[in-house]
Amino acid sequence: MASDVALQTQGLRKSYGDVVAVESLSLQVDSGSVVGFLGPNGAGKTTVIRMLSTVLAPDAGTFSVAGVPHTRPLEIRRRLGVLPESAGYPTAQTGEEWLTFHARLFGRTAADAHATARRLLDEVGLGGRGRARIAAYSRGMRQRLGIARALVNDPQVVFLDEPTLGLDPAGQLQVLDLVSRIAREHGVTVVLSTHLLAEVEQVCDRVLILNRGRVVAEGTVAEVAQRAAAPRSARVQVPREHLERALTALRRRGVHAVSTLDGARGELELTLSGEAEPTEAAAEALGGLLASGVPVVSFTLESGRLSDAFLAVTRGLDEEPR
Amino acid sequence: MTELDKRPGRSTTPAWLVVLDRELRDIWVSGRGLPLMLAYTLMLSFTSYLVATNQAMNFLEVRESVSLTLKVAVAVSVLLVVLASADAISGERERETLESLLLSPVGRSALVVGKGAAALSLWLAAMALSCPYLWFLGRGVAVVGKAVVGGLVVGALLALFLAGLGMLVSIFSVSNRVSVSVSLFLLVALYAPAQLATVGLQPSVGDVLQRIDPFTSGLSYLDKVIIDGHSPGQDLGLMISPVIAAVVFSALALVASSRIALSPWERS
Repeated sequence: MASDVALQTQGLRKSYGDVVAVESLSLQVDSGSVVGFLGPNGAGKTTVIRMLSTVLAPDAGTFSVAGVPHTRPLEIRRRLGVLPESAGYPTAQTGEEWLTFHARLFGRTAADAHATARRLLDEVGLGGRGRARIAAYSRGMRQRLGIARALVNDPQVVFLDEPTLGLDPAGQLQVLDLVSRIAREHGVTVVLSTHLLAEVEQVCDRVLILNRGRVVAEGTVAEVAQRAAAPRSARVQVPREHLERALTALRRRGVHAVSTLDGARGELELTLSGEAEPTEAAAEALGGLLASGVPVVSFTLESGRLSDAFLAVTRGLDEEPR
Repeated sequence: MTELDKRPGRSTTPAWLVVLDRELRDIWVSGRGLPLMLAYTLMLSFTSYLVATNQAMNFLEVRESVSLTLKVAVAVSVLLVVLASADAISGERERETLESLLLSPVGRSALVVGKGAAALSLWLAAMALSCPYLWFLGRGVAVVGKAVVGGLVVGALLALFLAGLGMLVSIFSVSNRVSVSVSLFLLVALYAPAQLATVGLQPSVGDVLQRIDPFTSGLSYLDKVIIDGHSPGQDLGLMISPVIAAVVFSALALVASSRIALSPWERS
């Protein structure tokens, strides 16, 4: 039975000795979404994924995956596909053999497991290399094979822990395309743990930023970026004949990082960096224009990027005493 | 049975058989099974040659020749089981392939049973290879059948014991090297007192120490049956420790299977 909530945790906690990896984690992920699971190294992402995939027992708290409570780990594993962060591969086996074996572990018949393995190899672009030993696979091929393994049981929820780690840009692009396709074609909930923030902006519907085992930001990419990161730039449109006057007025107010976007339309871009807070700098620039009698047609603050939000929420907490 | 289990394409094959099938392929097709058997055959050939030459010079009787060769075959074949079972979990851990296995909806005990059974296949193959040697050395004396059956029984018990021991150590070891070293150390720790007991101790104390060690006890049983010509039921007391060791260590490995985790000290 499909559940509207793909993942739910309540007060999840895990520590390794004195080091608290995950602290009172409560979150909810809706079915069918692609969630970017972000956080600096050591934030607890892998620990969370391992707890939710039932290979690591939490110290406290409860969770459910695809509506199945944590007290039924075998049931959870039947509904879950995972590409572990440090996935190893039996190099003496072929990709097809390995996938077939895992499909059989999920209860498929030998024939069905073979068919599933071949279908998935085609799907991840390894159709022609299925009978080659894994030892001959590149890192990118192994990651795609790992993603195929995560799909052998037609899961409802898929965790991909750093699927692009160690890949060159072309490999990263291939894997991210694959992630998008999986989410679209299989209709599964994908939780993507990665450091590639720009790609998360493209692929993910929602973002969850973890730091020191706590969720520090959550929402759509735009919401998180807007909430957590101050604007970086502003776009101003003035009548074309007032362009020069506007530039002079801005420089007089100390706004030197100004570029003309479209002279014919009187569009300028102001970079809001420097000593002043970006919003104060924006107000100062706007005040300067108005004080100089420059009619302002429009003044738009460009929202911050996810990377700014990421740095803002993680750096801020890092500076807090524990 | 859940809804997922009822979908078409669902298999009724027990998970441990799926694991066994994979492990057998890993050992015998792409793994070290065949090289180990080659080395085993060379070792047994060399031993048999020495035994046969001693037999020809009347230093050894036929029965002694058969018993000696059989004991070497049993001892070495069950040591192969240790090598395989000690690699079972810690090897997966070391190669970082354990997590993928733990992510499947298979009980941990199925992993232990499947891998343990695959490890036992090394012993079985080695015993099969030793049959022609026993036949050659024992020709003319009606002892080969007895030797093969005795070797299979004692070997099976010792192989089960060592499969359980190796698996148990493997479950709690970080690496394959640690696992194999600890398993072999434990064997020597059991074996050495039994051998030292023959020197300078009262016979009764020495006898007890020898009976405690499943290895020494089991091999002594083979001597009694093959050399002394005792009936199989006459010295069953010597089989107590091999039986107990086989049952206890197999059971312990099964019980400990619930502790299989990514790290030996972690709970899953």
